[in-house]
Order: sequence, then C-alpha cells, then structure tokens
Amino acid sequence: MSSMIELLKLSRHYQMGPTTVKAIDLIDLSIEEGEFVSIVGPSGSGKSTLMNIIGCLDSPSDGAYLLDGKDVSNLSKNELAETRNRSIGFVFQSFNLLPRQSARENVELPMIYAGISPKERRQRAVEMLERVGLGDRSDHVPNELSGGQRQRVAIARALAGQPRLILADEPTGALDSKTGVEIMEFFRQLNDSGVSLIMVTHDNELAAQANRVVQIKDGKVLWDGKAEEWVQ
Amino acid sequence: MKRINARESLVMSLRSIASNKVRAFLTALGVMIGVAAVIALVALGNGAQVSVQESLQSLGSNLLIVYSGAPKGGSLVRRNTSNIEPTLTEEDLEMIRSIPLVIQATPESTATVQVKYSNLNTTATAIGTGPEYPEIRNFSPIYGSFFTQAELDTRKTVAVIGAQVYKDLFGEGVDPVGQKIRLDGINFTVIGIMEEKGDSTSDSSIFIPITAYQRYISGEKEYALVNVQAAELDSMRDLQYVIEDELLALHRLPSLDMADFYLANQLDLLSTVQGVTETFTLLLGSIAAISLVVGGIGIMNIMLVSVTERTREIGVRMALGAKGRDILGQFITEAIIISLLGGLVGIGLGVAASWAATRFGGMAAVVSVDSIFLAFGFSVITGLFFGGYPAYRASRLDPIEALRYE
Repeated sequence: MSSMIELLKLSRHYQMGPTTVKAIDLIDLSIEEGEFVSIVGPSGSGKSTLMNIIGCLDSPSDGAYLLDGKDVSNLSKNELAETRNRSIGFVFQSFNLLPRQSARENVELPMIYAGISPKERRQRAVEMLERVGLGDRSDHVPNELSGGQRQRVAIARALAGQPRLILADEPTGALDSKTGVEIMEFFRQLNDSGVSLIMVTHDNELAAQANRVVQIKDGKVLWDGKAEEWVQ
Repeated sequence: MKRINARESLVMSLRSIASNKVRAFLTALGVMIGVAAVIALVALGNGAQVSVQESLQSLGSNLLIVYSGAPKGGSLVRRNTSNIEPTLTEEDLEMIRSIPLVIQATPESTATVQVKYSNLNTTATAIGTGPEYPEIRNFSPIYGSFFTQAELDTRKTVAVIGAQVYKDLFGEGVDPVGQKIRLDGINFTVIGIMEEKGDSTSDSSIFIPITAYQRYISGEKEYALVNVQAAELDSMRDLQYVIEDELLALHRLPSLDMADFYLANQLDLLSTVQGVTETFTLLLGSIAAISLVVGGIGIMNIMLVSVTERTREIGVRMALGAKGRDILGQFITEAIIISLLGGLVGIGLGVAASWAATRFGGMAAVVSVDSIFLAFGFSVITGLFFGGYPAYRASRLDPIEALRYE
C-alpha cells in the first residue's frame, strides 16, 4: 500500500530576474496516514513553499507529488481547488476566519464549496464545534471569541470537510504560550483519534511535540526521524 | 465536478451587501439616478410627442388644405396667405365638393383689418369662410353661434369673434352678441365668440361670411385656400392626387411644376412632427443613458475597492476549495444585485418624477412601459458589465498571494 503523501524528487524553482531560486530542491519524502509530522526550519528554508505544495496551493516545477497514490503535480487550478476542498484542512497562524460570519458559518464554508446541502452543512458544523469544545459559541462572530477559541473554530472548519490531512501553519504563532499549549494538546488528541497532521513551524520546541520531525534547510531535507531522537 | 449553485452565490452576496449597507446604497445611487433620469426624460419626450399630436389633431380631423400659390414646400401648420395672389375659384371649390372622398369643403381668405368698437381700436385677422368651417377645423363658437348658409348666401355682415378679440374689445362679462363692430369701416353685427384655442393667431381672428369678405374687405373673387375634410385618413393621399389632377385641368396647367396651388395634408404633417419628436425623445434618452454609464463606472470603482479589501477573504475561500468561477459568481452576483436594487428604486423615482412634472410642472409626461423594461434591463447589464471586470480580477487571484495579503 502506498503512502498518503509521497514526494519524489520534488523541486520548486522561482525565476527572479536572471537568477533561479531553488526554494525546494529535489526533496524525497513520504508521510503515512495517521502520522503527526512537524516540518521545521528557519524562515527562507523552503518550508512554506513545501507546505503550499503539500496543501495543493502551488504546483512543483519538477518531480512528482502523489497524494493517496494519485499524482497531483500537474493538476489545473480548478482540480487543485477540488483536491484542497476534499483532502486538506487548513489551520493558519492568523486563523483567517471571515470576520462578519458566525463561528458556525465559518465552519460551513468548505462544505459550501463541496456542494453539501444547507441542512446537512449546518448540522455538521455544529457537531464540529462541539468536538472542539465550542458547541455553545456557534452563533458568535470571531470578534466575540478569544484567540484560542478562534483557532479552535478554525480547526473545526479544517475538520468539517472530513479531509485526509490537517495542514497547520504556525498554529500557535498568534497565541500566548498557555493557549498555545492548549492548542498543541488538542492537536495531540486529534492525532490520537486518527487524524493525520502536518504542522509547519520555525519553533524547535514546538516541532519536538510531534511524533516525527522533518527539518528543512536551503530547500533540502536536513534531518528526518522520530521526534525523541531529534537533536535540535 | 461539484460547483456551488446560484442560490449559494445569492446568499453570500446578500450577506456581503447587508454587512455594508451605506456603501451599497451609495454604489446603487449612481444607477438609481441614471435609471430615474432615463425614465423621466423619455416620459417627457413621449409627453411632448403626445401633446403635439393632440394639437395637430385639433386642427381638424382628416384635414387637407388646398393653398393658392406656387408650391414651395416647407410650410407646415399655417401659411401666411395675405401677400399671395389668391388663385382658387368658386368653380374649383364646387369641383372639390363634388369628389366622393370629400365630406365637405369650405373656402378661406384672410386679411388684417382695423377693428373698432365704441372708442376702442385694435387690429385683427378677418377670416372669410363658410358655415362648414367650425366642423372642418374643429373650432367652434363657445357663445352665440356661427353664421349659417343663409347668412352666407345673403352676404350678411355678421361676425364671430375670437376669444382675444372679445377680451380686447368688450372685456369679461359683457355680452357682445348684437353689438356692432367696424371692420375697416364696415359695420358687422357680432353673433358669437369662438372658443379659446391658445394660439394667438386663432384667438385674434374674426370670422365673417366669405361673401361679405369678398364684397367689403378684399374685393377679390378668388379664395386664398380651401379647407377639405376627407372621408378617411387612409385615402387622404389618393384624394390629394385627385384634387391635384382636377385643379390642373381646371387651371389649364400642364404639370404640378407650373401649378398655382399646392396641397398640404395632415398625414404628412403628422409624420413630420412625429419624426421630430422621436428624435427629441431619443436625444433626451441618450443624455440620460450617459448618467447610467457613469453609475456603472461607480459600481466598477467600488467593486474594485471591495475586491482589494477582501483579498484575504478571497484567499481563504480559495484555500478552502472555492474555484475561480465560484469567486467570479459571488462578486458578479453582488454587482448585479446592487445595480438591480438601484434600478428598481430608480424606476420608482423616475415614475414619481414624471408624475410630479405633470402634476406640478405643467409638463406632459407619459411613462412608457418600454422605457421601464429598458431601464431595468440596462441596470442588470450595467451590473454585469461593470461588475464583470472586478469579479474577474478577484477570480484570478493567486490563493498564496491572497492569503499573505495584509
């Protein structure tokens, strides 16, 4: 059986005037279902580019990206949008909730684009909010929620489409350390219940809380292994 | 291939409009004013058309006029006949009366005369004509009566005076019937007052039997013109040809180029005037349409700002699975709804303005259903056209860039 994510000699180059920037250079990486992986590296290391490609927001210049055995490296924009909608749940550093919509409506958003009926959407959104412990906040707009609560709404939104994978980009970056710990604990619980997680961060301590660490430097994998064996 | 349906786009757009009502209102204002202007100005144009047609109709129904003089063209409602040698004879008149397509015909000659009553002095147009005149020209006495065939035959010196002449000589409330007035020194007995027509020429006229006119005023046997009432509007052109042919024969003339008479009919008059007023309406409508275009540019402007402001929202929606066309649909729907709302309010304002122009401005304004549909359609197209570009820009955003946008 093939891996959930398989990157084969994957590269992403940008042309910046006369010079070619190799943001990602010939990376081979595979991630299995149910893993909790952190991708770590300083800014400019290429980890954001890697996350964009894994998240189907960007396509590689070279190499292949197999998601559930299917090559998604040459998909059209619309096909990428469908893949994101179906397979990936995003959690952003700055939450990215729509400010004028309630928590429930924010959670419904990916399901709108999946073509799910309003009734079912509503019901599932409420279930998701209950799962992240915000069942009583579903009618509140983001402004009326604390940072931790907002991030949990965002996690509920990421879970709502029942994706194969949650992709979190610096999920605790905008939170105080206590709330950050709570969110990390919540991620652990999610992972224990079988959700696959990839977290991108520049924070080594945070990265060490995952099961597996992939360290990126200059567009290449510098280290890849179990978190407890990782020497920061 | 899943795609979100129109209902979802509609809900999203309504939500976004509701969350910024003042801006939506200001955006719609341009379209509102544009649509209102189109409807009101086209209504005024139509009103002018209707009132001109009505005043033409009031000249008499199925009217055809045979004038003395060489055909020169260009003359429309009333031609100044006083300095043209009259050429139409009694024989001509009898011939015209004998044509089956003619209901009746009556001669007419005019001259400017001095009018005297007691010590008051004024000038007026003396019109010598026949008893058929009121019916043919749709112009009757409001008080007293017109002269009769018997009075015509016996060359009675009786006069029916125009409304202005009555005011000038007698003043309101005085009964003029039976009073004697002097036209160029000849005594005429007033037997009636004509209704007020509103144009100074008609209201400053004095109607006397053509026989008395010929004897005492002009001394000529010929008529300046003959008023003819045709049996029907459709056969008017045929009647014109018949009269032309017969008159050429009677006057022993070879062709119309040499004619000492010419004909004008109401049909030609109507179509000329109609052409003019249609141009007028079109002109007014086009001016108003410009403001609709300006309104559309307003929509485009605001939508572009809105797309920029909501770049991040667009990025989030795209990351969560929105396709370019979903974003396109959302923004276009928003633009169309705004311009549609503007259009609906504009229709109301336009109709109200037309009503007010009629009610308080004394102008004739006729709102046409066509212009309402046109304006409505235009406002939808405005939204589609001017909202299209900003929506397209939104749909082409790169989700990575859009998510990074501050």
